Formats: sequence, structure tokens, C-alpha cells
Amino acid sequence: MANVNGRARRKNTYDAIVVGSGITGGWAAKELTQKGLKTLVLERGPMVRHLEDYPTAVMDPWQTKYPQGQLPQDELNAHYAVQKRTGYTMTEYTKHFFVRDDQNPYTEESRYDWIRGYHVGGRSLTWGRQSYRHSPIDFEANAREGIGVDWPIRYEELAPWYEHVERFIGVSGQAEGLPQLPDGHYQPPMEMNCVEKAFKAKSEARFPERRVTIGRAAHLTEPTEEQLSLGRTKCQYRNMCIRGCPFGAYYSSNSGGLIAAERTGNMVIRPASIVTSLIYDEKAGKATGVRILDANTRQEEEFYADVVFLCASAFNSAWIMMNSTSSRFPNGFGNGSDQLGRNVMDHHLGVGASGEAPEFADMYYSGRRPNGIYVPRFRNLGDAATKRNDYLRGFGYQGGAGRSGWDRDLGNRATADRGFGAARKAALTQPGPWTMGLGGFGEILPYEDNRITLNHGVKDEFGLPTLSMNVTIRENEIAMRRDMQTAAAEMLEAAGFKNVKGRDDGYAPGLGIHEMGTARMGRDPKTSVLNAHNQVHECKNVYVTDGAAMTSASCVNPSLTYMALTARAADHAVQARKRGEL
Amino acid sequence: MLSRRDTIRGLALTVGLATTGWAERAMAAAPAPATLAWTPTALTQDQARLVDVVAELIIPATDTPGARDAGVPQFIDRTVATYYNKGQAERFVAGLTRIDADARATHGDAFVALTPQQQVEQLTRYDQEATAARAQTPAEPHFFPALEDLVTVGYFTSEPGATVALKYEPVPGAYHGCVPLAEIGRAWALR
Repeated sequence: MANVNGRARRKNTYDAIVVGSGITGGWAAKELTQKGLKTLVLERGPMVRHLEDYPTAVMDPWQTKYPQGQLPQDELNAHYAVQKRTGYTMTEYTKHFFVRDDQNPYTEESRYDWIRGYHVGGRSLTWGRQSYRHSPIDFEANAREGIGVDWPIRYEELAPWYEHVERFIGVSGQAEGLPQLPDGHYQPPMEMNCVEKAFKAKSEARFPERRVTIGRAAHLTEPTEEQLSLGRTKCQYRNMCIRGCPFGAYYSSNSGGLIAAERTGNMVIRPASIVTSLIYDEKAGKATGVRILDANTRQEEEFYADVVFLCASAFNSAWIMMNSTSSRFPNGFGNGSDQLGRNVMDHHLGVGASGEAPEFADMYYSGRRPNGIYVPRFRNLGDAATKRNDYLRGFGYQGGAGRSGWDRDLGNRATADRGFGAARKAALTQPGPWTMGLGGFGEILPYEDNRITLNHGVKDEFGLPTLSMNVTIRENEIAMRRDMQTAAAEMLEAAGFKNVKGRDDGYAPGLGIHEMGTARMGRDPKTSVLNAHNQVHECKNVYVTDGAAMTSASCVNPSLTYMALTARAADHAVQARKRGEL
Repeated sequence: MLSRRDTIRGLALTVGLATTGWAERAMAAAPAPATLAWTPTALTQDQARLVDVVAELIIPATDTPGARDAGVPQFIDRTVATYYNKGQAERFVAGLTRIDADARATHGDAFVALTPQQQVEQLTRYDQEATAARAQTPAEPHFFPALEDLVTVGYFTSEPGATVALKYEPVPGAYHGCVPLAEIGRAWALR
């Protein structure tokens, strides 16, 4: 028996285990395998192979089962009660890339929109692809203002890893030389349209500190040899990214990191593997592996490695740690600080302004640019001119201009009688007016009582405990939202737009789909879960490199930072393992 | 998976087929067929014929195909059968019932049997009613805008609607931000 067990154990033993295959799991897999580690990637959902498993990628509009690919109300309510809250993610084109809420319950002590995809590649298939670096200001803010804890790293330590990531994934964008939004390594920027160019010129003339630039997006506009060799090609401007890209033109784990990892021959990927806990060896004082539940066979199994990377997303990595109790860690793995599950952050959004362009009625565009314009943060940059007395931190705007299409009067009879017949038909075959919108993405501060907890009272279909959410925005965010609306409207007005309307559609935590902070990095094991290299303070061979690690949120989209932290941590793990420290 | 070349070749073929004959057909005012060339699943024969006539009045054949040639009546039948829940389907059918009841009350005949002039007059009344009702925000929305929206969606997402009435380019290949509208000519089917 001992012999058999020994063989089984050897069969299930790797140098490294990566939990999760999304945007950070893909990076951990790539870096660890390229540096020679035999790596097992565990993914709780089914396999999604690049190209093969994008069933709707080239569907035409007349091939949908339902009008405009919208799902029936009863199906949305029964299966996607949370996922439908975004208003755009749950369609016939995309539903296979999102979870069924009825099968993945959680408890909303306060409303929390947890938008998820459980499959190989995770949300790297459906992300917004905006790719910005955190700035030196972001890494210093907590210490300067006495908020939360200090980041244990500074911008300069992460900068080379940002570049490493940008070179591999490919980011199109424009260098701007702004201290609050450091430039990276960019492929040629996408073009602004007529209205956006005019907006930039006129708004910047009035508000020079509010730079208007093209979005920095993880799309190939001039692919490198390395990207071409992976089978990725240039963006074709279909703007159907969320269905999976047949050209591999935007970065996903599926088209990038996992393919690179697979080519090393060092990766084994195991779908349908729900990691339920870390295995902790009290004598050795380290983790020896993970336990999984096979989602298909419902059998438990153990896998072993020298090093474990948790890349399961902020909430699920925290869940695994909370569910990994032992006499050493009675309150959750590495949770001596009691910070596990706390400090939940996101980006608050749904506030801004829009207006009608005063000119260019005779101009249009061709191609569907999967990207917008960006206005980097211009508040509280450390000088008197940008200082706000009503709130800390800041926000950026994402937006863009376009002409409405044939669907412009659907559900809308607010204006004059729209009629029917040949005249209306002819009108709808011409583009509608130009409109431009700006939507803010605001930083949320870390609050200890914004937290997720393990709920043994509600079990999922596998009998596993679930999460309970209690997260709200506070005075700082509410004050910022007022400014987000006002400042957007004044930019559009300064640029001569007509019928400028500010709006605040409200925001529920989670809707930014940037949840983070649940196992924060910090300098002191008493007040943080992870150290400067994303190692669990109390168990150095476990790294957590997804959104859980974030000490503050910045206002920029976070995926690029998650990838850079992952690559940096993987390098650290490989070196530390060589030195025998793990 | 389709390669880009396959996609483009497929598109060229469909556009080529779709454009043939539309203009000639559009010139002839198309009367309601006595019997449908297709079998409805959710609607009755009479309801389907009514939908066929109303859809064509809302989006008639002009220099481009109309709702009938774009398969909008079939699209609506499929929507009622598979997309609408019971309540939505009942509200939709109630609208059809009202159209016929009003036609009989005013002219003593089913809507499909009225002259095109009478049909247009009746739909115009609904359009005006709906506009007035909107201002008063009634509990139950008027049926006509919803019907009109369904025809509009069915038409512009159909292959003839998207590729002939609008401009359709599944794989643009490039983005040009400032192009004279005259060079493009029509609204893009996709955004």
C-alpha cells in the first residue's frame, strides 16, 4: 500500500501549482513554466481552447435565436439574476462565458454585483482590455494620507515588470508623459474619430490639465514576432471581443499565456478542478499542496508542489484561504492579521455626462474600434492646483463619440411622433446624430469593514460554504461622484456640445468588475496578509497574485497591474526555490 | 473556425445573392398573400397574415427589401414562440386582436382585407395614440410601438436588412475615424 500511495503521490506532484487560469493564472503558468518549473494549472470550470471554443465568434446578427441575441426574461431571472445586472454581458453571444447564478450562490448582506466566468481563461476572455500602469502617486497615497496600510513596493520596483507584460500581451496606446499615468511600451495607437479629435482640441484648450488620449488597450496593432509566433494577429476592428477573438488580437490567457506555457512542455492543465483548500504541513511550516473536488466526478484529490500560486480571483483566492483552516490557522490561511476578506475595493462608475456634437454631420467612420478615449486622473495630484477639499484620490474618464444606428428609436417615443413606413425606413438606414459620452472610473478607498466572509449556512451544489458580501461606498466616493458628473459636463460644454446632460445611474459595489483587496500586501504581518513579493507573510511558499493582493485601488483598470505583480512574484518564487527558501 | 478569408468569401456570396432582384420586387406593391408560404408555430394563420401585412406597412419594400422579403413575419412568430414569456405573448396577441377588432368596427372587415389607404390610416391612429399615451405615462404601454420595435429589430438584423438596407462588414480589417458619410452611403449594420 505504501508503495502505491507513494506512486500516487509522485504522480500528483509538481514543482508548482497555479490555482486559476484567468488573467493572472495564465501569467503565473507562463512565467513558471518558461523558467523550468513543472506546473499544474487547476481551473474549476471547463476547458475553453483558443479558437475552437468560441462558438459565437463569427455569428451574424440574423443567426441568433432571439431578437438581437437578448436572452428571454424568464431565463435571465432564473439563471442570471446577478450576471444580468451589467446590462451588457448576458446575451446569446456571451452567456457561456459567465456563471449561472442559481448554481453559484452567495449572500448579499449589502448588494454586491459579482460578475464571474468559470472556465479556462476566466474573465481574460471578456475583460475590457484597458491597460494602464499604476503611478508613483498611487503607490504612495496610503502612506501619505494615513489610509489602510502602505504598499510594500513602489512604482520603480514594478515598472520593469509592467514593461515585461506589455511587450508580451501587446498594448496599443499613446505615450503622454504624464506623471499620474506612466507611459508604457506601446504598439501604434488606435485613431480618434472626428468628434473625439475636436473634443480633445477644445476641451484641452479650456482645461489643459485634463489630457484626452486614446485608450491604452491590449489589442495588437503591430504584432511582434513573438505574438505572431503564438498565432496572434492584428486587430480587425470587429468589436466582438467578448465572444472570443478568432484573430487572437486582444490578449487573453487562452490566446497568450496558456499557449506560451503549453509550448514549454512543462504545463499540465486540469479543468473541472475546484480547489477547496491548501494543505498545510505544521512540522515543515509550509503548504505542501492543495485539495480539489473534481466538478465532474465529485471525487476529492490532492496535488502537491513546492510552491502554490493563488490566482483564482480576489474573492475566490480569499475563499480558498478562509476555507483552509488548521490548528496553525484557525481563522483562515495566513490570517493572523485578520485582514483576510477585508478591504474589498472596486472602481465606482456609472456617472458622467454626454452631449450631442455640434458639427460633422457629413462625416462618419469605418470599422468598429474596440476601444474608446481616456482622460487620465486630474484631481489631487499632489499640487495646490489639483487639490480637492471634498475628497481624496481621483478618477479617470473612459468615453467616446459615435453616431447612433438603426436602433436609435427603439423603446423611445419621448420625442415627436416617429411615424412608420418608407420615410422612417429611409431615415433609419442613415446614421443618427453624433453623441459623445464620458464615464468616470473612481478610486474606492480600502475600508476594513468592507468585507467578504465565509458562510457555512449557505452551501453550493458541491456542499461547499459560500461567500457573504458586505460592501458599501462611503462619503469619499459619494463626494467624488458629484465631481465626476460636474467635471464631465463642463468639458463637453467647453467643447461646444449641445444638450449636455450629466448623469448618475447609481453604482452597486462589484459593477466595476474590479473586485480586489481581500488579502492585501503590506510591510507588517500584523496588518496585512501578503508581503512585498506576494508571499503569504505566514507561509512563504504560497503566493497570491490576483486582485486580492491590492493595497489600494488607484482609479485605473487593474488587470495590467495584476499581471505585472504575477510575473514579478513568479520570478521571485523561482529564485527563492533555487535558493532552497521555499 | 472560419478563417478571415472564409468569412469574407461567405459574405461576398450572401451579399451577391441578396441584392439580386430586390429592386424589381420592390417596385411592385406587394399585396398580402392569400395563404402564407410558411407555417407559423405560435401565431394562428390569421394572426400570421395580419403580422405579415402590418410588418410590410411598417417597413415596406422600397429600393431595398421590405419586412416581408426579409422574413420579419417568421421572425416575429419565432419571437412569440421562443422569446416571449406567457404574459408578453398574451400582450402581443392582444394587440393583434385589437387591430382586427378596430378594422371590423370601422370598416366591417378584417384588417388584411382593407385597402392600403385604410390600413395606413388605422396604423397612423395607433401611432398618434401611442405618442399621446407616452406623455401620460400609462401603466400599460400602448401595443403599437412595441410591435413597431419588433418589426424594426427583425428587419435590420435580418440578412437583407443588414446587408442591403444597411452597410454590413463583419471583418472591417481597419478603423478610419473620419470618413465622409457620402463615401459610405448608409448606416453601418453593426456598431
